[in-house]
Amino acid sequence: MGHDRLERRAVISGVGQSVIGRQIDRSGLQLTLDAITAAVHDAGLTIDDIDGLAMFPGGGKANLPGYANGNLYEVQDALGITTTWRQGQVEGMSLPFYGPAQAVATGEARHAVVWRTVKEGSAARKAGGRPAYGSIHPRAEGPLAWLLPVGALSPVCQVAPYATRYLHDFGVKREQLAWIPITQRAHAALNPDAVYRQPLTLDEYMGSRMISYPICLYDCDVPADGSTAIVVSTSEAAGDLRSPVRIEAMAGVIDGRPAWELLEDFTRVGYATAQAMWSRTDLRPTDVDVAQLYDGFMIEAVWWLEAMGFCQAGEAGQFVEGGARIALDGQLPLNTWGGQLSGGRLHAGFGHTAEAVRQLRGEAGDRQVEGAEVAAVANVGGFEAGAAILTGW
Amino acid sequence: MQVSGGTDATVGIPPDVTEETEAFWTAASEGRLVVDQCDDCSAFSFPPRGMCRTCRSRSMRSVEVTGRGRIYSYTVNYQRWLPDLEVPYAIAIVEFPGCPGVRVVGRLRGCAPEEAAIDAEVEVGFEPGPGGYAIPSFVMLGPAP
Repeated sequence: MGHDRLERRAVISGVGQSVIGRQIDRSGLQLTLDAITAAVHDAGLTIDDIDGLAMFPGGGKANLPGYANGNLYEVQDALGITTTWRQGQVEGMSLPFYGPAQAVATGEARHAVVWRTVKEGSAARKAGGRPAYGSIHPRAEGPLAWLLPVGALSPVCQVAPYATRYLHDFGVKREQLAWIPITQRAHAALNPDAVYRQPLTLDEYMGSRMISYPICLYDCDVPADGSTAIVVSTSEAAGDLRSPVRIEAMAGVIDGRPAWELLEDFTRVGYATAQAMWSRTDLRPTDVDVAQLYDGFMIEAVWWLEAMGFCQAGEAGQFVEGGARIALDGQLPLNTWGGQLSGGRLHAGFGHTAEAVRQLRGEAGDRQVEGAEVAAVANVGGFEAGAAILTGW
Repeated sequence: MQVSGGTDATVGIPPDVTEETEAFWTAASEGRLVVDQCDDCSAFSFPPRGMCRTCRSRSMRSVEVTGRGRIYSYTVNYQRWLPDLEVPYAIAIVEFPGCPGVRVVGRLRGCAPEEAAIDAEVEVGFEPGPGGYAIPSFVMLGPAP
């Protein structure tokens, strides 16, 4: 089925990252160039092979300090290349490699690199704490005009009502879902690049400070500095690449009202995307060996566990409780690099994609999942959702 | 309904008022909640976008929402995102049985923030918000059914 799918004509050929940490005293441009250089080398290519460039968030407006870094044209100038395709990603952020895959599949480019550079760790330090959403603009514009003036000043306040409704409707307990951050922290201990590596206990989780009920400190990802670059190549070039990874299926559907407070059912996020994605492959949830599911907030990983069919609606609490199923040797190892909760807020699915590629290649070091051949990747920014299945070559 | 007490909501970020939202913020300053209703099919649309979400008519008018609302979900914010921000406070997402498709986000006052509850009935109101704007602020009429 479906060998003519667009995404089958593209492969992820390389991933690379700069140094990652809570405060890296280097510019966004330098971190970006480190990541791109590493990713291109990882692909087995040279900079001169790159003819497509994409970045998140492109020229789009940043609502958080340290969120947007650098400029695509400065990067192209630094690299000294010619490009036939470029993209700034915000809308259409469903997956980092979505647009680049379209570009190489249609011949617009042969090898495209997409990157995401964050300096939110430094920005939070400078501000003396995590800053308010929109605090870099004097007035709340667009969708934020309905949220910031009433005191929903952070993405936490926007996502928290989803968690409130989820806990209410399904009777799931915070003590159960706590095993997502706890287990991911155990994974992070095996990742030398993770921001938080010391163990997290259930008592520490339950005793942690509430940020915006029911979201506590350990349900929030950790602001970080760092850059992730991903090279996407035409599958025709597979023979020239060091270790390509297949894009088995990908999709990004917005079916509900696209605003944080307006989505019709707060307990069902990502279902249309997951359904569209599964319709593009013969693989099933039980075929997945490792899952890298977006976790800007813990509840977002819950959405994906259920939307992608790894467990039924409302059953994520039972599924993750105790952590055994989502551990490295469990039935669905989850966010094996620590996720954004412990690995660092690399954002927009970039860290998740990089880890999926490492796992499928058997290059994930001490946290390698034995025999990982099929990886799920999902990204979410509320209503904007993307899901994919990647497989080894 | 006059309900005093609670947390000062004036510290924050004021709205950018646009062609589409001017009627809302003007009515808010008068203590009235208005949403768009379609002249052609009578469906409600909110936030106002100048087009009926149901039939795509461009002929819309502002109508006042007077009935009780119901809390669809909520959060209680404890984090001081801005200097001098008073915490904690509850933020409620409210639906109106008489206006299908309308959801309004506002503060909850007149009760302890922790008393907020899904499905609780609320009365519409406003309170002083950032930049001299009146912001939606609901009062719970009792515990959730």
